[in-house]
Amino acid sequence: MLLDIFDPKAPPQAIGIDLGTTNSIVAHVRDGRPVPLTTCDGSALLPSVVHYGAEGSVLVGRNAASYATREPERTISSVKRFMGRAAGDAETTRLGVYKFVPGDAAVVRFDLGKLTPSAIEVSAEILKSLRQSAVDQLMHVGGAVITVPAYFDDAQRQATRDAGRLAGLEVLRLLNEPTAAALAYGLDKQENGLFAVYDLGGGTFDVTILLLDEGVFQVKSTGGDSALGGDDMDREIAERMLTAMGATTQQTRTPEVVSIALEAARRAKHALTDAPEVSIELPQKGGGNVLFSVTRADFDTWIQPLLERTGKACRRALRDAGLSASELNGVILVGGSTRVPRVRSYVKEVFGKEPLSDIDPDLVVAYGAAIQADLLSRASDEVLLLDVLPLSLGIETMGGGVDKILPRNTGIPAGAKATFTTYADNQTGFDLHVVQGEREIASDCRSLARFKLSGIPPLPAGFARLEVNFHVDENNLLSVKAVELTTGISQSVEVKPSYGLTDDEVEQMLIDALDHGESDFELRRLRDAQVEATRILLATDKALDTDADLLDEAERVRVEQALNATRTAASSASTASAVESAISALDDATHEWAGRRMNRAIQTAIAGKNLGTVEQSVAHAAGIEAHLAKHGER
Amino acid sequence: MTVNPFEALGVEPVFGLDLAALEQRHRDMSRALHPDRHAASGAAERRMALGRAIEVNESFRILKDPVRRAEALLALRGVATGEGKEPPASPAFLMEVMERREALAEVRQTKNEPALDRLITEVRALAGGVEATLGREFASPNSNPAEILKRMGELRYYRRFLDEAASIADDLL
Repeated sequence: MLLDIFDPKAPPQAIGIDLGTTNSIVAHVRDGRPVPLTTCDGSALLPSVVHYGAEGSVLVGRNAASYATREPERTISSVKRFMGRAAGDAETTRLGVYKFVPGDAAVVRFDLGKLTPSAIEVSAEILKSLRQSAVDQLMHVGGAVITVPAYFDDAQRQATRDAGRLAGLEVLRLLNEPTAAALAYGLDKQENGLFAVYDLGGGTFDVTILLLDEGVFQVKSTGGDSALGGDDMDREIAERMLTAMGATTQQTRTPEVVSIALEAARRAKHALTDAPEVSIELPQKGGGNVLFSVTRADFDTWIQPLLERTGKACRRALRDAGLSASELNGVILVGGSTRVPRVRSYVKEVFGKEPLSDIDPDLVVAYGAAIQADLLSRASDEVLLLDVLPLSLGIETMGGGVDKILPRNTGIPAGAKATFTTYADNQTGFDLHVVQGEREIASDCRSLARFKLSGIPPLPAGFARLEVNFHVDENNLLSVKAVELTTGISQSVEVKPSYGLTDDEVEQMLIDALDHGESDFELRRLRDAQVEATRILLATDKALDTDADLLDEAERVRVEQALNATRTAASSASTASAVESAISALDDATHEWAGRRMNRAIQTAIAGKNLGTVEQSVAHAAGIEAHLAKHGER
Repeated sequence: MTVNPFEALGVEPVFGLDLAALEQRHRDMSRALHPDRHAASGAAERRMALGRAIEVNESFRILKDPVRRAEALLALRGVATGEGKEPPASPAFLMEVMERREALAEVRQTKNEPALDRLITEVRALAGGVEATLGREFASPNSNPAEILKRMGELRYYRRFLDEAASIADDLL
């Protein structure tokens, strides 16, 4: 149940969530320090496993994991690997135990008989569980920052945000995992310099190069592989175990047998972190057991090709940043898979220095997410995160090639324009295909969306000029708008995501998830509008305190009237649309003022910098200390 | 881009920009405009901040890039730019480019990384030389648009060469 959650009198607390392939964590900032919240399993780590019972029950975490070998097909783990994937994607054909709904649907669905949940819905179950834990401990949960692998493409990010919305969370921000880790490290150690974050999780690999400079976390480059992680190490062992078990053919590799092998492989991998050799007894085809032994040296050899893939991404990220490994001040290890000894020694070989792992690699990302959530909800200006686009965005050209609109590692938020013209007389429509990736052929890149621009006035070929605007926001999410330049008419663009759900589908799923459908949905919309109104009221009051001098008398009166109307609507209006229209009137009344305030903020930011450089850095260092001290006091 | 990138970042419209100072300016402006700064504001203000942050980032990208910086300067002077507008390169220059392209094609075949690095270093130095010439040309009180356009054409050749070299280097990693 989504609505009975909050004690409105308690102050809302922002939370950070690491939605991991293997484990998920929710954390918040208490007394200036990030702390993990206890999940329903009684520990900080919630296994990212969801079990769908045949009779309709849904379990999350360790309880769900206990069904892994009994009902493998109904027990979904590593769902993150399927986020933003379509049916028939390569990921669905790897060694695993799940059945998928066949076809070419935009969203992959698990085939559980009557139920066919998408990866988004499965992830939403994990998020709901984390949210409930947070509500139990914090009383009133505010917005959430959810982390994603830096190398996630637009479809995977959209899917994650949709899962958050579906779980009833206000998603403040999608934050890149390596950036989150750097934030936690940077604030903890108060170090400046160039750092590499090597983040090898259960199913994803990221490498990010950033500059930490007096509260600014500037990502220089990022690279990775969103389908490479500890799961692949498990598969290397499991393949060999299955052979030893006599399960060599597709028929003998039943979901039960495969899940036994995968589970044993995971145990072997963990044991090899401390032991030079492990032996595990496995059931054999036709009865009896077989003793399977693996040494650390074997394992190291088996995972070497995987490590080399990470090494290539590291070298590319360094080159994209225009740096050599020796220029780095440190290398930060993130993700459970960096506990594997060979991973550590490999990272040392690649970067030529001993990596840091003094913050728990399982928790550091959630810590960073919690810090960012706290900073955002307080509108704090102590820290600035400047991130980049991980994968190039482009448009398919006539010949099936790719015209790059925004190259990888462009700073976000980012925008670009492209102009197109018609190629036939009286052509009134235009098809555009947006892709993401580094390959030169469009069909080798990830297809993000197909646009049909329609309503172009009939003109001779080459006369109509369409300007297409791409916007990538701070979450690395893309939006597209088009204008026909000869008429100046802004054309409505029909956005058909090639992958993922449309907004309407998400809304319908939200309605379906509520017990009383439409009426609860209305109530929820009202509550969302009230939250937004409260936010604007606070922000406007604060702005009046500092920048009222930028308003003339008539404007001030108008702002105050709109402010009062919004206050009244927020506390007494019974419909969402009444609150929404009050907000929109307040937006109108404050629009120009907001522009002037932004100009003033820029002037202040620039002016502060015309001081001498020594004075500058002292002031900055003091800023960070003040940040930490202030948190300490709270 | 309809916005004047020099104005957007509040810097002098000159070719010889101090890139470190430009980066500092971009960062200071991001402090004021980054959407994270406005996360606690209403939707309309958040949209405004996003739009302006994009403008500042895009302007920074233009000014960091010598070819696009030169284009922006010429646009301010009312000179049309673009590949079609530039005078054809001299035969000697084209000859030189052709030779280097052959060397690059050979490196692609032989996967000779040191040779690739040498080529990249050479062409970067050549591009740097053209940039210096462009800087002088732009700063000169009687600067010649035709000369500027010719140099921009050369810079584009080098740029394309370096892009191709980077993609070969990607494959060699």
